[in-house]
Amino acid sequence: MAKTEKSPKGTKTKKIKDKLLLFIVPAVVVTIIILVAISSFLSKSRLEEMARNELESSITNQADNIYAWLEQNLENFSTIKASLEGMDLDETYYEEVLTTFVGSNSNAPNGVYIATQSGKVYTGRGTDLSITNPTDQQWYKEGLSRINMAYGEPYKNDEGEYVISASGILNDGSDEIKVVAADVTLGKISIIVNSGVKMKNANSFLVDRNDMMVLAHRDSSLVSTTLTGSLGRPVMDGTYNAIISSDYSTTNLGQYTVAFKEIKGTDWLLVSYIENSVILANVTQLITILLIIGVVATILIVILVSAIIGRVIKPLSYITENIHAMSSGDFTIEVKNTSNDEIGVMGQQVGKFVGLMRDMLSSINDESEKLKEESDNSDQVSRVMFDASQSQESAMVNLNQTVDQLAIAVNEIAENATTLAMVVSDTKANSDTASERMAETVEISKSGRADMEKLSVAMGEIQAANQELVASVEKVGQASEEITNIVGMISEIAEETNLLSLNASIEAARAGEAGKGFAVVASEIGGLAKHSAESAQSISDLINQVRDQIEKVVSQADASAKSIEANGELIDAAVTTFDKIFENIESTSDVIKEMIADINKVDEVSTNVAAISEEQAASADEILETSKNMVEQAQAITQSSQDVADNSHQLANTSQTLTGYVQQFKIVKEDTDYDE
Amino acid sequence: MMNNRLKKIAALLVAGVMVIGMTLTGCGNSSSGSGGGSAKGMKIFFSTLTLDTFKGMLQDAVVEGGKEAGVTVDVGAECGSVDEQVAQIKQAVDAGYDAIICNPVDATTALQLEVTAGDTPILFVNSQPDEQYLEPDKYMYVGSYDKDAGNFQAEYVWNKLGQPSSMNIVLFQGEPGHPAAGLRTTAVKEYYKKNGIDVTFVFNDTAYWDTAKAAEEFKLFLKTKQPFDAVICNNDSMAVGVVQAMREVGLDPGKIPVVGVDATTEGCQSIIDGGMQFTVYQSATGQGAAAIQTAIALATKGTAKGIEGLTEDGYYVWVPYEPVDASNVKDYM
Repeated sequence: MAKTEKSPKGTKTKKIKDKLLLFIVPAVVVTIIILVAISSFLSKSRLEEMARNELESSITNQADNIYAWLEQNLENFSTIKASLEGMDLDETYYEEVLTTFVGSNSNAPNGVYIATQSGKVYTGRGTDLSITNPTDQQWYKEGLSRINMAYGEPYKNDEGEYVISASGILNDGSDEIKVVAADVTLGKISIIVNSGVKMKNANSFLVDRNDMMVLAHRDSSLVSTTLTGSLGRPVMDGTYNAIISSDYSTTNLGQYTVAFKEIKGTDWLLVSYIENSVILANVTQLITILLIIGVVATILIVILVSAIIGRVIKPLSYITENIHAMSSGDFTIEVKNTSNDEIGVMGQQVGKFVGLMRDMLSSINDESEKLKEESDNSDQVSRVMFDASQSQESAMVNLNQTVDQLAIAVNEIAENATTLAMVVSDTKANSDTASERMAETVEISKSGRADMEKLSVAMGEIQAANQELVASVEKVGQASEEITNIVGMISEIAEETNLLSLNASIEAARAGEAGKGFAVVASEIGGLAKHSAESAQSISDLINQVRDQIEKVVSQADASAKSIEANGELIDAAVTTFDKIFENIESTSDVIKEMIADINKVDEVSTNVAAISEEQAASADEILETSKNMVEQAQAITQSSQDVADNSHQLANTSQTLTGYVQQFKIVKEDTDYDE
Repeated sequence: MMNNRLKKIAALLVAGVMVIGMTLTGCGNSSSGSGGGSAKGMKIFFSTLTLDTFKGMLQDAVVEGGKEAGVTVDVGAECGSVDEQVAQIKQAVDAGYDAIICNPVDATTALQLEVTAGDTPILFVNSQPDEQYLEPDKYMYVGSYDKDAGNFQAEYVWNKLGQPSSMNIVLFQGEPGHPAAGLRTTAVKEYYKKNGIDVTFVFNDTAYWDTAKAAEEFKLFLKTKQPFDAVICNNDSMAVGVVQAMREVGLDPGKIPVVGVDATTEGCQSIIDGGMQFTVYQSATGQGAAAIQTAIALATKGTAKGIEGLTEDGYYVWVPYEPVDASNVKDYM
C-alpha cells in the first residue's frame, strides 16, 4: 500500500522543488548579475579613486622626498654659509675654509663656493670648478635676490652638465656683496624623481614653473626641454596648461591620469602620471574574477538551495503521505514530528487534526449507532401506533354504522310515535262522536220519558216490555262496566307510555349504547299503541251494542207505548224508572267525557313523544355526522401514523447509511495495514 | 577714530547676527534680533596662541559676537605651545562645549587637535590648516582668502607703476612654511604670469613677518645695487620695516610703492605718514564674527549652510579682504 502511494508523492515533492528552483535560480542569477554589476561599477570607481589617491599619495610622498632632499642639502649649504658669516674671515682664508667642506656632501661634491661683486671667485681646493665672470653667472644674479640660500633656475655649467645652484648673499657685514653658492646636478634630481615613484607603473617628471623647463624626466632626451603646450604629448601639454591656469588638481589627460604637486621652497612642479589602461587592467581583472565568482556562486547556491529545499520539504512529503492517507479515510495514521520549523508545526497540527478527526468520527459513529437504535425503536412504536389507529378507525367505522342504525331506529320511533299520535287523535274524534250520540241518546231518553208519561195505560205490557228493557239496561250496565274497565286499562297504558317516553328521552340523551334501549322502548310504545287501538275498538263495539240495545229498547218502548196508553200508571212507574235510566245514561256520558279527556292527554303525550323522537332523530343525525368526522380523523391519524412509520423507517435507513459512511473512516488501527 | 570703526563693525555685526537669526528661526517668525532661542545656553570655547594686535581683535570679535547671540564664549589662556593647546582643547571637550574656535599655535597640528576634539566641531581661524585636514561642517577654516591679498597687492603695484610690461620687484615673505606667506607670494607671482607681465624678483626672501628683519634685509639688498620698482611684503610689519630702511638710506617711499597686508594700526599710520602706499585689510572682527556665527550654526543645526562666504566644497568660510590706500585708510583706524 505504502509502495503504491510513494510514487505519486515522489513526483509531487519533485514539483515543489522544481517550482522553488524555478523561482530561486533566476532570482539568484539576477541578484548575482546585479551584485557583480554593482560591485564592478563600484570597484571600478573605487579602483579609479584609489589609483588617483595612490597617485596623489605617491606624488605627495615624492614631492616631500624631493623637498626633504633639497632642504637637507640647502641646510647643509646654509650651515656652511652661516659659519662663514659667523667667522668674520678675511677673504684670504676663504679657500682654506671652503676646502674643508669639499666632499663633505656627496650631493654637492664641489662644496660651497663664493663669488664677490668685484669678480673674485673662491672655491675649495680639489674641486673641478672653473668659474669666469662670476657676476654674469645666473647663480650669482639669483643669489643677489636673497640672503637665505635658495635654489635657482637650472643651467648648463662649463662642463656641459645641467646643474641647479643654491645661492644667497653672504651677509658678513662687509660692504662688498659676496654670493655664496653650491651646485647639485639635475642628474641627481632626476634619479630621485625617477626612482622615487611610489606607485607601480606610474611615471614622474619635474618642471620649473617659471621657465617651463623640464628638470627631470625618465626619458633623458626630454630633460631641459621647454614645455610649450603644443608638443603633441598630452601629459606635457596638459602640464603646460595647468601651470598657466594654476590649476593643480588631479586630472585626466589623454590616456593618462595625472597628478601635480608643487615642491615647497621652489617654483618646481612635480608631475606624476599613470596610464588609465593600467588602472583599468586591474578593473578588468577584478570584473573577470567577480564574474567567475558569480558563476561559481550561482552554481553553489543552486546546489545548496536544491539540497536545502530537499531537506526542508522532506517532512513535507511525509505530511503529504499522511494527508493522502487521511483523504482516503485512514485516520489511524500517526504523524511524527521531525523538524522544528513551520513544516514541523504543520506536521504537528496535522497530527492534532488526525487525532481530533479520529475522536470526532468515533463519537459520530457512536451517535449514529444510537440514532439507528432509536430510530428502530421509533419505527416499531410508529408501527404499533399505526396498528392502533387502524383498529380505532375500524372501531369508529363500526360505531358510525351503529349510530347510523340508531338514527334509523330513532326515526322509526319518531314515525311510530307520530302514527300513534294520529291514531290517538282519531280515537279522540270517535269518542267525540260517541259523546254526541250519547247526548242525543239523553235527549231521546228525555222525549222517551215524556212519551212514557203519556203512555201510562197498558202498564202490564209495558211491565213485560219494561222487564225486557230492564234486562237490556242490565246488559248496558254490564257494557258500561266493561267500558269502565277499558278506560282503566287506557289510563294504565297512558301512564306507562308516559314513563316509557321519559325513559326513551333519557336513553336518547346517551349516545351510542342507548340504541338498544331505545328499540325496546319503541316496541313497548308500539305495543301500548296497539293495546290502545284494540281498547278503542272494544269501546266502539260496545257502543254499537249499546245502540243495538237502545234500538231494541225503542221498539219495545213502541210496543210498550200501546201498553202505556193502556196503562198510564204503568207509564208513570216507567217514567220513574226511565229517570233512573236517564240518570245512569248521564253518568255514562260523564264517564265517556272523562274517557275523552284521558284520550286527549294520551294524544298530547303521544304528540310530545313524536316531537321528542324527531329531536332524537336530529340528534342521532348530528351524532352520525360527528362520528363520520371522527372516522375521517381516525383515517387521518392512520395516514399520519403511516407517515410517522414511513419517516421513522427512513430515519432508520438514514442512520444506517450514516453508520455506513462513518465506518468508511478507519479510526482503529488495523495491524494488517502495516504488516509489510 | 577707533571708536567709530568699532561702532561701525558692531553695527555690521548686529546686522549679520540678525540675518543669521532670521535664517535660523525661519522667515515667518519675528526674531528678537539676538539669535534664535536655540542658540541660548550654547557654550563655545575659544583657544588661541599668544596674542598680537590682530589676534586680539579677532578674539574680541568672537567674544562680542557670542554676547550678541546670547551664547556663552569662554576664552582659554593663551597657549605658548602645541602641547598646551591640545590639553586646553581636551579640557574644553570634557567640559561639554558645543563648538571650539581655535587659532592654532601650529596649523600643521590640526589633525592632532581634531583627534583631541572628537565629535566637537572645530573652527580654525587666522592660521589655515592644510585642506586634507578639513571637513565640511566639522573642521572648517574661517578666514580671509590669502590669494586675494596677493592679487590686490600685485594689481595695485602694477597699476601704480603705470601698467608696465616689465618690472623689478622686491618681495618679502612671511615665515617659511606659513600658509599665508606661501599663498600671498604665489598669488603675486601668478597674477603677473597670468597678465603676461615680465617680472624680475630682484629680491625674494623671508623676513619672518618681522619689521627689523625686513629693514636689515632691505638694506643688505640695497648693497647689491639692483634696480627695483616696488616692494611687496606679505604683511604690514615687514612693509613698515622696509619703509624705515628706505628713510634711513634716504629713499623716498612715495616714489617706490611699498605694500603690505593686514591694515594694522602701524600699517595704516604708515600710509597716512606717506610711508606705505597700500595694504589689504584682513577683517579680524569680521573673521571673529564669522567664526562665532559658523560655530553657532554648527552647534545648533549641524551645518554651516547659509553662512556668508561659505565655499562650495564646504571647507572654508571666507571673510573678504578689503584694499586700503590713502583714500580710505581712515575708515580702518
